Amino acid sequence: MKTGTVALPEFLKLPPVIEGKLTPGSLDDQVLSHLDRRPPPAWFVAFAFSSSLMVIGLMLIGYTIATGIGVWGNNIPVAWAFDIINFVFWVGIGHAGTLISAILLLFRARWRNAISRFSEAMTIFAVICAGIFPAIHVGRPWLAFWLMPYPNQRGIWPNFRSPLIWDVFAVSTYFSVSLLFWYLGLVPDLASLRDRAPGKFRKAVYSMLSVGWRGSSSHWQHFEKAYLILAGLATGLVLSVHSVVSFDFATSLVPGWHMTIFPPYFVAGAIFAGFAMVVIVLVVVRSTMRLENLITMYHLDVMNKVILTCSCLMGYAYVMEAFTAWYSMNGSIHHTFKQYIFGTYWWAGWTTISCNVLIPQLLWSRRFRRSYPVMIFVALAVTVGMWFERFVIIVSSLHQDYLPSSWHIYRPTLVDYGILAGSFGMFFTLVLLFARVLPVIATTEMKVVLPGSQPRHAGGLHE
Amino acid sequence: MNGSSTTKILTAGAVAGLAGIVATLFVSGRERFWVNWIVWFLFVLTTGLGCFFIVALEHVVGARWSVPLRRVPEKLSSLVLLMAPAALLALFSLPAIYSWTRPESLDNPMIAGKAGWLNIPFFSLRAFLCVVLWLLSYRILVTGSYRQDRERDHRFNMRARRFAPLFMAIFAFTITIVAFDWISSLEPEWYSDIFGVYLFAGTFLAGLAATTLALLHLMDRKRLPGLGPDHVYNLGGFLFAFTVFWSYIGFAQYMLMWYANLPEEVFWYKERLEGLWGPLLLALAVFHFFIPFFVLIPRDAKSDPKRLRIVAGVVLFAHWLDLYWMIFPVLGKGPLFGWPELSFLVLFVSCGFLWIRRALGRGADMPVGDPFLQEGLGFRL
Amino acid sequence: MSRRIFSILGLFDDVQRLMDAIPVVKAKTGARLDAYTPYPVHGIDKALGLRKSPVGGMVFIMGLLGALAGVGFELWTSGVDYPLIAAGKPVLSWEAFVPIMFEVTVLFATFTAGLGMLLLLNRLPFFRHPMLRAKSMPLITRDKFALAVESDGGELDEDAIIAVLRNAGARSIEVIEQPAPPGPLSPDFLMRVAVAIAISCGVAGYLTYWAMKLFPISVPVVHMLDQPRLNPQTQNSFFRDESGMRLPVAGTVARGHMPYSIREPDDPAVPANPLPASEPVLKEGRKAFEIYCSVCHGILGDGAGSLTAAYGAKPANLSSRAIRDYTDGKIHHAIVAGKNAMPSYAAELTEDERWSVVHYVRALQRALNAKDEDIPKEVRK
Repeated sequence: MKTGTVALPEFLKLPPVIEGKLTPGSLDDQVLSHLDRRPPPAWFVAFAFSSSLMVIGLMLIGYTIATGIGVWGNNIPVAWAFDIINFVFWVGIGHAGTLISAILLLFRARWRNAISRFSEAMTIFAVICAGIFPAIHVGRPWLAFWLMPYPNQRGIWPNFRSPLIWDVFAVSTYFSVSLLFWYLGLVPDLASLRDRAPGKFRKAVYSMLSVGWRGSSSHWQHFEKAYLILAGLATGLVLSVHSVVSFDFATSLVPGWHMTIFPPYFVAGAIFAGFAMVVIVLVVVRSTMRLENLITMYHLDVMNKVILTCSCLMGYAYVMEAFTAWYSMNGSIHHTFKQYIFGTYWWAGWTTISCNVLIPQLLWSRRFRRSYPVMIFVALAVTVGMWFERFVIIVSSLHQDYLPSSWHIYRPTLVDYGILAGSFGMFFTLVLLFARVLPVIATTEMKVVLPGSQPRHAGGLHE
Repeated sequence: MNGSSTTKILTAGAVAGLAGIVATLFVSGRERFWVNWIVWFLFVLTTGLGCFFIVALEHVVGARWSVPLRRVPEKLSSLVLLMAPAALLALFSLPAIYSWTRPESLDNPMIAGKAGWLNIPFFSLRAFLCVVLWLLSYRILVTGSYRQDRERDHRFNMRARRFAPLFMAIFAFTITIVAFDWISSLEPEWYSDIFGVYLFAGTFLAGLAATTLALLHLMDRKRLPGLGPDHVYNLGGFLFAFTVFWSYIGFAQYMLMWYANLPEEVFWYKERLEGLWGPLLLALAVFHFFIPFFVLIPRDAKSDPKRLRIVAGVVLFAHWLDLYWMIFPVLGKGPLFGWPELSFLVLFVSCGFLWIRRALGRGADMPVGDPFLQEGLGFRL
Repeated sequence: MSRRIFSILGLFDDVQRLMDAIPVVKAKTGARLDAYTPYPVHGIDKALGLRKSPVGGMVFIMGLLGALAGVGFELWTSGVDYPLIAAGKPVLSWEAFVPIMFEVTVLFATFTAGLGMLLLLNRLPFFRHPMLRAKSMPLITRDKFALAVESDGGELDEDAIIAVLRNAGARSIEVIEQPAPPGPLSPDFLMRVAVAIAISCGVAGYLTYWAMKLFPISVPVVHMLDQPRLNPQTQNSFFRDESGMRLPVAGTVARGHMPYSIREPDDPAVPANPLPASEPVLKEGRKAFEIYCSVCHGILGDGAGSLTAAYGAKPANLSSRAIRDYTDGKIHHAIVAGKNAMPSYAAELTEDERWSVVHYVRALQRALNAKDEDIPKEVRK
């Protein structure tokens, strides 16, 4: 069977995952040398801006803890507002990193290697930002340790039947697993850094962190197996953690919250928002750190395709929710859904739909998928849209639920806005620090996918 | 086994089955006849649709490793063609087992409010549209692939790649309509918006299982030269992963309804847990989750033909059991398996196998015209 | 040479040369081999004859343990130790325990895979390995591949092995010497001491906690709790109904409470107003009136309250002739015992407040039935 001598159109050719000539040595030089140099002035400006936002946010958090939740806009019935919106938002953003690191590893997608390190780091920072909110939104944060099941003199245990406790376990598991997965992947890279460290202090630090890694094949054998297993386990977490977060809503009786589609809908939304954030950060990283040959247009193209797929999944979910709301013939649910579109917060509902379903449709065009302005515009729209989606779900449903005498408008306060801005500041501060201190690309994993990296008898198509 | 003797046995089975189901209609009553028809036609239809989904998925992601084995699900997806008339015949079941067709159901305001959706003309139109869309998609994706064998035209790849995302949208909405219309509306007061996703999960798994069985069958007969354990491993991996996915969706729907405990949702589960239905659900969990999951955990299990055959067979049985458990309780009795059910089994299984044998026998066993065939054959983990 | 050799390294420029050299060197030297590579190389495990990694089995067992531990802990705490009925769910509600069970399973499995691999199988952190001080190490983490012939405690024929390595394609050779035994205060030793101290502190603290918790309730200390007295919230066989918690004796009156047993408003036992009509009393009376009474009786006490329309009741006009003729005690009686549709407000108002309200009602009555003589002389026209 001769596959014809007809030249394949551009459309069907397998694009290169790496551009240009690359050797393991040049890879090390390109990526690891950033840690030896002083960062460009733009880094300092960005760091100053984001760390100021972070400090403002932290001060406002301190003010909230000292004064009380009354400084926020929360009221009855809108007892959950910016606090939980931000929590769900940030946890969602973390999921993209795990998908790229873990799920794409299981699919043997070679293009994942250039972006896995960075996205895993973003997962960890996003989960850190997320974890702040459950801690501060309880009335007495200094007693937050009561959520942990330890034997105490009151003789009681946390209520394991409550989705809020499921959340505690799910998010802490997610954080520890992501941290472990990320750290283990870093160990060989830290060994590289140890061996090229210019000063004694740096060498000592990298030595300790790389725990004496020496690249022995017997070590690699256990390492690879453990890494693959960790990827499989982390995949389970991608599905389960945001599903458990969705259970916070779906197990309740609030109209508009008790919809069985919430678990997969939230997971799709998390991947959606996460990939958008990854695209934004990667566009900045690849241009400022001159990594265009490693994080190629192909990477951005594929990630934009994932964003487009998730946008279609969100569209399906919105249609299903609307249809089932009508089909349920339940007056309260009817009212809630009408509120989403025509009620007090109608502008949030329309923002959600246009940013999440309409704008990303631009990505059907190949040209747009590869154009910086369009992809950044779409990614920003998705980030905004996904934040507003949680706003609509939480605030719009709560502010007019079953009992009309309880209906109440919600207005966020400046403290709410400040803490939200502070969380963005914290996230980007951590990202900037990471880019300064650790290799943003997993050089060891990249070396594996360079052409000629594996011996011939185990060659063939690696996908 | 001699080919023609198998055909003779299957044909005899089909005839016997047909006689049996006709007898069911007159002896056991319309309801039992139609409930069995719905369970079986949905089972074969969703298996075919699952294979169809696999084909479209391969085109959407542009996978190369799966090109050599793509012809197998393409052939199996012709089951959708076999079930198209069965689906249209099933429309005759509406007055028998779908309570919203009866005029007295309009006394219930909850049903009357949905009468704009749940009425015979619109329902039939939806069913008809689904069938038409599937047939059109079949023409583009599967018939086109066969044509590529002869014409060696790589423009098929481009056309398939462009059409596949649209098919995904069609698939999403048609499988949801199948779930809501044929299964969920048996109890029209009940609703669950994850139901389309639930049926999708079972459908995809059934397609994977059928593809795996057919693939291993062909590999045994050396009809797929070049396909190795690495290809099989990937299929096994998908079987494993989507077993977990189905279980997650099924558990999520059950747990959420259990937790909120709303009478308008929980009654559906209550009916399906009382009497012997409860142990049947436990059996479903064992066959649909525990057995496939624990058997396929070890890495080498995912490429071992023996274990994969067992798991694929169990998964297909579990998918049928899933449909049976969801649909049969509408009769108001416990789990029944008498001669009516046996006749339906014999009829549909015989016809299904006859059809699959015919499909596997026609056309090339691999998409010989696909430019990526060689690359796919060279795939190694 | 009196130096002790740990291993002899041959450095190769690319991975193919390394893989080709391994079988050759293995055959010619028969010594233990290890390879050092910048990244994992496919097929090198088999070439070096490494045993299969037990990580998978370890993870599976610990995962099962995690599942059992998770669900067991939940069932014990919520079902046995402190059974709590939440939202009407059964006490052994397995559905609600699945999410945490899943997370704990993943946690156990992950830490086994990650830390088990690192600490147990690879025995890292370990900073004293001679390779870490080798000149080739930076080359290896960058882009070179090394094959090490290890002495494994025995003697190595240095020249012969170097010749074998060069023949097999090694670009350069390095001889790694056995490091000098570490002094008494090596970093490893210090780290081990620090970890031991930390663990001992943890264990000691934990044991102290449990000792302090359990000491007061262990024999014989617990005997002090075992006294012939009535403990709160327990059963006690002293009483006929075995209940330790008793209701107050019939006729018990709360401290500061004056029982009001008058039934008829015209009963002569109705008390007189004990409070003077002073400004503080009137102020308090106004405050209480406006909170509790004005909704029905109106802010002026004229029966035009804000809730009248909604409730369709007809509250009394307190300034009417009839009520102006009431005694203070009769108005007080209406507050305490209620009158017609008005319920008793005894619970809302203290004794003092009730009498203050009576004074204020009098003030309102006078205000709405003012005579010319009530206007001060200066203002009168």
